[in-house]
Amino acid sequence: MSNKAYIQLDGVTKKYSRGGEELVVLDALDLKVPEGDYVALMGPSGSGKTTILNLVGGLDIPDSGKVSVADTEVANMPKSQLPAWRARHVGFVFQSFNLLPVLTAHENVMLPLQLTPLSKSERKIQADFALEIVGLSDRASHRPSQLSGGQEQRVAIARAIATDPDVIIADEPTGDLDRNSADEILQILDRLNSEMGKTILMVTHDPAAAASARRLLKLDKGTLVSDQTREGA
Amino acid sequence: MAFPVRLALRHILASKTRNGLTVLAITIAVFLLCFLLAVVKGIDAGVRSASATRLVTQSAVSLFVSLPMSYQPKIDAVDGVVLSSEFRWFGGYYQDPSNFFPQFAVNQNRFLEMYEKDIEIIEGPDGITGPGARAAVQKALNSDRRAAIIGVGLKDEEKYSFKVGDTVPIVPAIYQRADGGSWEFIIVGIFRPLKERIPDKVMYFRSDYLNTSIESGEAIGEIAAGVYYINIDSGDIGDVVASTIDDEFLNGPQRTQTITEAAFASFFVSAIGNLPLFLGTIGGAVLFSIFFSVVNAMLIAGRQRLKESGILQALGFTPLTSTFLLIFEGLMVALIGGALGLSLAVGTEGLVQDLFGANIRNYKIDSNLMLLALATSSALGITAGLSAGIPFLGYRPTEALRSMG
Ligand SMILES: Nc1ncnc2c1ncn2[C@@H]1O[C@H](COP(=O)(O)OP(=O)(O)O)[C@@H](O)[C@H]1O
Ligand SMILES: [Mg+2]
Repeated sequence: MSNKAYIQLDGVTKKYSRGGEELVVLDALDLKVPEGDYVALMGPSGSGKTTILNLVGGLDIPDSGKVSVADTEVANMPKSQLPAWRARHVGFVFQSFNLLPVLTAHENVMLPLQLTPLSKSERKIQADFALEIVGLSDRASHRPSQLSGGQEQRVAIARAIATDPDVIIADEPTGDLDRNSADEILQILDRLNSEMGKTILMVTHDPAAAASARRLLKLDKGTLVSDQTREGA
Repeated sequence: MAFPVRLALRHILASKTRNGLTVLAITIAVFLLCFLLAVVKGIDAGVRSASATRLVTQSAVSLFVSLPMSYQPKIDAVDGVVLSSEFRWFGGYYQDPSNFFPQFAVNQNRFLEMYEKDIEIIEGPDGITGPGARAAVQKALNSDRRAAIIGVGLKDEEKYSFKVGDTVPIVPAIYQRADGGSWEFIIVGIFRPLKERIPDKVMYFRSDYLNTSIESGEAIGEIAAGVYYINIDSGDIGDVVASTIDDEFLNGPQRTQTITEAAFASFFVSAIGNLPLFLGTIGGAVLFSIFFSVVNAMLIAGRQRLKESGILQALGFTPLTSTFLLIFEGLMVALIGGALGLSLAVGTEGLVQDLFGANIRNYKIDSNLMLLALATSSALGITAGLSAGIPFLGYRPTEALRSMG
């Protein structure tokens, strides 16, 4: 074993050029997240939160610095191998759910399982199980348009965990939800972390969501300005 | 069902109106393609079956101007000419103007000799069939001025059902009878064409029946030969013989134009010049415009799919997945349209054959045409899917996810 943290960013810089002007989104950022941690990331809009999540999930690559997840150098991986790596190790949850509207809840959950070597019946069992975890077995055949926002987000979480990834990346998962639905989502994330040992990296503006994480990071203009671990966590 | 197939089908069903219209457009395009190609092929078959050792001498003025009878000996005297035979358009109909089939006045003996290898006499008087039928029919033709032979199509088609021994009245369009009545012909033989260019719904009768009736005042019209069909020694001398004949009649009374039977056959069905090229151009233009409307429909589908491409990539699919999905959808829509268009073409084959009648006898949606139709629709669908799906590959996954599509 290396002495690296489970998720580790070393001197990560990410820039975008917009209209000839260079925008430094992340500036030599360092971050260590041990396995099984549950981290909430807060910060003003445009401070680079989503960019961090994308880098960890291998959807984006840094201009300089290293991103490693479970001993894998994500940024150095050939582009062609990133999707397969992502399918095995990372589950994404988005603010706007991002379910495919033409598929049922169950079919949405089945999507990432198509990329696994599991048999058809094994896939179905895992999809059923994932829906059971989020408490939506009875809505398996519903389309997203037939579900409430909270239910959609629960399906999205089921989809994110269907392949049993180590890391869950959630970008404002309660941002579009009412308080009750948001609390349900937070309870599910909490169970995924405490009972199933998932490492969770969650961006949020919601103080209640931040309070349910074990650790709270604050980001401003591409640099971490605060790192607190919750009492008793 | 495999996941990509299911997702693609769901997308197709999710945009029923757009995809329905695309299917309709492809249906029409493929039907037109089949129709036009079958017409062109039918014409071509007729032209290609034309003999290389046969010329046709017609009036240089127009096909509708008859050449004089006196030309025949002069044509026969030209070096390289083996045999000539007059063909004169009669243009009547049976009972009702809608029952139209061509009738030609010919010299029965010259005609039979010239067409020895072009038609097969399959039935003669008293039920005679087989090799003896030809001689029996020739004898019968020579023994009655009103005798005529018909193509087998006039026997097979129900509304005619002509038999050997029948007396068939034909209402004249050009050669009116003094009594205002019909001409009567007696069927003495039935033939099957051995060449594509010869119609099977056609009647040949004795030109002297026409000529003596005009002479005696029983009928009104001009005694003439129509056009001359000419058998020559070899195809190599066609040009020389043709110009010799045309030079012969340079000073009238009718100037002539002598062309090969192939040229004549293609001209006869295509009074507007190069019909195959014309039809091909129409077909090409139709396909071209349909092609762009299909590509456009797929591009719209593609633009609405960028976000999905981002989501799929976040789940671990490659950007190619979305490209393949769109290709598959394009292919499905195009093949459904193609299959419908093809079914329409096959379903209306008989109807179109009836409509064309003797003009284009070989209108057929054959297996080559079917393959071509399906291959064309597949290519159309794949190309449309590609043009919609390729742009995905130019986006980073984060850009795709941030898009509104
Ligand atoms: N693909 C891109 N092209 C240009 N600018 C981008 C791109 N992605 C993000 N940005 C910019 O980078 C900054 C950080 O974005 P992001 O990480 O999404 O912020 P947030 O903290 O709100 O999630 C923002 O100013 C955003 O406009
Ligand atoms: Mg963000």
